[in-house]
Amino acid sequence: MLSIYYGEMPEVIYNPARYFKNTYTDEWITDELSRKMIKDIDKSEVIGPRIIDSPVLGGISPRELSGGVKTLICIYKKPDKIFNASACGDNCAKWLLEIGKVMDVTINLRHIMDFGDGEFTVKILNTGQIIHSMEELIPVAGMIVR
Amino acid sequence: MKGIHQITISNASVRYEFSLKRNITVIRGDSATGKTTLVEMINEYYESGQESGIELRCDKQCRVLGGRDWKTLLPTIRDSIVFIDEDNEFLPTDEFARAVRESDNYYCLITREGLPNLPYSVEEIYGIRTSGKYAGLRQVYHEFYHIYGNHRPHELVRPEELIVEDSNSGFEFFSGISEGKNYT
Repeated sequence: MLSIYYGEMPEVIYNPARYFKNTYTDEWITDELSRKMIKDIDKSEVIGPRIIDSPVLGGISPRELSGGVKTLICIYKKPDKIFNASACGDNCAKWLLEIGKVMDVTINLRHIMDFGDGEFTVKILNTGQIIHSMEELIPVAGMIVR
Repeated sequence: MKGIHQITISNASVRYEFSLKRNITVIRGDSATGKTTLVEMINEYYESGQESGIELRCDKQCRVLGGRDWKTLLPTIRDSIVFIDEDNEFLPTDEFARAVRESDNYYCLITREGLPNLPYSVEEIYGIRTSGKYAGLRQVYHEFYHIYGNHRPHELVRPEELIVEDSNSGFEFFSGISEGKNYT
């Protein structure tokens, strides 16, 4: 399940992009879910572990992926760590929910991310509540972050 | 520093054109829209000028601020446009808000976090989007758009009730402008 802690969190990795740059391996890039996230968020194709075809920047290395997709891959590949997911835009929200379906992960959010109109299941660690929609989430998260 | 400042920055791949209208502008929005690329280009142009291969047009110097030494660096920057990327933990702090208030720079802040200590307008919160506008054979053109729309509330809103936080200046202000109107 995806668990979310809202607000400041001392043990969080605040800059996931930097952590990614210094820890990623080839397998992080060629993983099937990573490929899908890179395709969806960055509109880029993984050609191989060290080369990605970006429609804007041309051939790029994994270090030049967007901050959002780097954060998603960190959350997916290092579920024992807690990352600042406010480095992700709303277009990453569905992938956070997907990751939460296949493993237990905790993220830190410092803003109200829009998880969309559908139903989902996340746990708010600040209050212990299980949440199933944005209608339920906003009154809870809105008391902690803006 | 006052007024509107137009910035155009480009390399062989991308081109950005936007105006900063007030001293604090916030950029947020979806991932992979080019926010960090913009900041990196501003920094590379500052470091190397035209030798960077980047073209920048602006009537003010554009700088990037970041890292642990920001407190030392910021007082040395004057009459400039300062860009700060989202990976800087000092952005929502009181200390940074004080430093901004004491300086005459414009600030372009990339963050999704609320910045309750800084007085910025909802009209100056932007996203970046790719435009169909012609930029060049290989360039992708980026422009800013209002995240929260471009409203003209004085033309559209006719409130029946106004609720203010307390009975001080906010109440007195709205009482004044509500006189003779059918508000409660």
